[in-house]
Amino acid sequence: MKQVWAIATTTLGEAIRRRVLLVILLVGVAFIAIAPGLGVLSARSETTVLRSMLLSIIQLTSAVIAVVLTVYMIPNEIERRTIYTILSKPVHRWQFLLGKYFGAVLALMVMMAMMTGVLCLAFFVQQGYRADGLTQLLRAPIMFFVQMCLLAAVGVFFSTFVTPLVNFFLSGAVYLVGTTFSSFFESMLNNPSSSNIAKIIGRLVNTLLPNFAYYNVQNPLINPTVVIQDETQNYIKIVAYGVLYIGVLLVAGILVFDRREV
Amino acid sequence: MAAAIETQNLTKTYKNRSGKVNVVDQLNLSVEEGEIFGFLGPNGAGKTTTIKMLLGIIYPSAGQAQVLGKEAGDIGIHRSISYLPEKPYYYEHMTGMEILKFYGALFGLSDTAMYQRLLERVNLAGDQHKTISQYSKGMQQRIGLAQSLLNDPKLLFLDEPTGGLDPIAHIEIRDLILQFREEGKTVFISSHALSDVERICDRVAIINKGKIAAQGKLDDLLRGGRIEIIADNLTSEFAQGLKLNGATTSFNAGRLIVDIDEAEDFNGLIDGIRNAKGKVVSVLPRRRRLEDLFVETVRNLQSQGASK
Ligand SMILES: Nc1ncnc2c1ncn2[C@@H]1O[C@H](COP(=O)(O)OP(=O)(O)O)[C@@H](O)[C@H]1O
Ligand SMILES: [Mg+2]
Repeated sequence: MKQVWAIATTTLGEAIRRRVLLVILLVGVAFIAIAPGLGVLSARSETTVLRSMLLSIIQLTSAVIAVVLTVYMIPNEIERRTIYTILSKPVHRWQFLLGKYFGAVLALMVMMAMMTGVLCLAFFVQQGYRADGLTQLLRAPIMFFVQMCLLAAVGVFFSTFVTPLVNFFLSGAVYLVGTTFSSFFESMLNNPSSSNIAKIIGRLVNTLLPNFAYYNVQNPLINPTVVIQDETQNYIKIVAYGVLYIGVLLVAGILVFDRREV
Repeated sequence: MAAAIETQNLTKTYKNRSGKVNVVDQLNLSVEEGEIFGFLGPNGAGKTTTIKMLLGIIYPSAGQAQVLGKEAGDIGIHRSISYLPEKPYYYEHMTGMEILKFYGALFGLSDTAMYQRLLERVNLAGDQHKTISQYSKGMQQRIGLAQSLLNDPKLLFLDEPTGGLDPIAHIEIRDLILQFREEGKTVFISSHALSDVERICDRVAIINKGKIAAQGKLDDLLRGGRIEIIADNLTSEFAQGLKLNGATTSFNAGRLIVDIDEAEDFNGLIDGIRNAKGKVVSVLPRRRRLEDLFVETVRNLQSQGASK
């Protein structure tokens, strides 16, 4: 455990100094800071519209960070030979991979917390402080965080066997399909009138690809039709789904990485 | 004495454009405990690949290797060994002290006093709060050596430890390695050159194209050099009258320069010069250089290959 933690904190230290990531983060923060100003100008703008817009910015920025963060993680270690000094110590490969993954999670946590902080500030400036409003506001970023942890696990999994560029498009595609089209595939599966082939495709996509759309809560622009009866239960359910999926991805990644030549 | 490293027909095959290549080819090595072993060979000979197999970072295509009595790659032996990679890089944002804390944590250690002693030992105590990005190459190599000593290893793998360093850094590293020998550690050094560091090896193996070309004591391997004799006050008749096997001679304005095989009768030549009232200016033994040995062993291997 000590090994995993040491690798994770080192990965975090490196990540928060990566220039690419900082630029992406800065662009995200800038948009969040500017957007409310633009909203005030438009007379018809409603709080919910503004809020979902800001949340979308956070989500998009975090997704880009999660992918950029993970696709280079293993290749960089190999290129700089740091992995050799680590693996020549009493460190198992699974510990190395887990450490790298948790480092990415920590980095995402720090960066998303920063964006969320700016988001809260923007809201307080506009509407004044309201405690109930705050919990309302924080729900979505927390769910996004789970979503990004899932995306990071996808990136780490692919990074054990494909090059960074391929991984970038693969993880990006998995995310896009998982967020935007998962409801489409779900309807393909559930619609009684759809053909058998459509059902098989629907089932395949549904079981293989993580359903990122689960986490697009409180975001009526993206998911306007979802009506949730029992919120708390739903949150627990989707977090458990995420943790399970992450576990499967990491175990698969470890199995690949264990046999791999570095 | 027990063997610290043993390999039996250790082989690593890689695919490249022209097909499969045995980058390490049926290697049989035996390194005794407590010795400084030089693993020498030109670039691309397969040195790093061999070390990676011994560490379990990559896996042999055929053959076996044992390190400290266990199969290579056994995580248990990683407690008693350490590795300094070729041209290493350490996380640039960390300070020297943080590097030791990080690698120490990988052993489950958190002994700041010990880290401090190690930094002093490699002469970095004064720079421990500078980040690695501010370190010179020599300092980076020294922090590398410090991290390789964290577990007080029995066996150290140093891959090209002097690559790209200046002569003073060479001597610093040589002195550290001499201390390791005092402490009874086994040191496995790979190198493509013969600097001060490799000269302190108890034994060396010369590897070329994945095969051992020669092994033994460095002195023995480098024996059989040539001797250069310079003499003045001689006549051209004397120079022309010389009958020497495999020697190159040059004569100019009374000065004779002869480059003769050590095994030839160079004492007879010196007597001859004196009898002719010549004056011997210098007799200079020329040891073979490692590069010569590389060239020779490569040639031998090729001629063996051709005769097969
Ligand atoms: N992963 C790899 N795939 C293919 N060829 C490799 C790989 N690693 C090393 N080689 C080749 O193996 C040969 C030996 O490499 P190496 O062991 O690094 O040599 P040395 O350390 O003696 O300079 C080189 O020709 C190198 O190109
Ligand atoms: Mg090498």
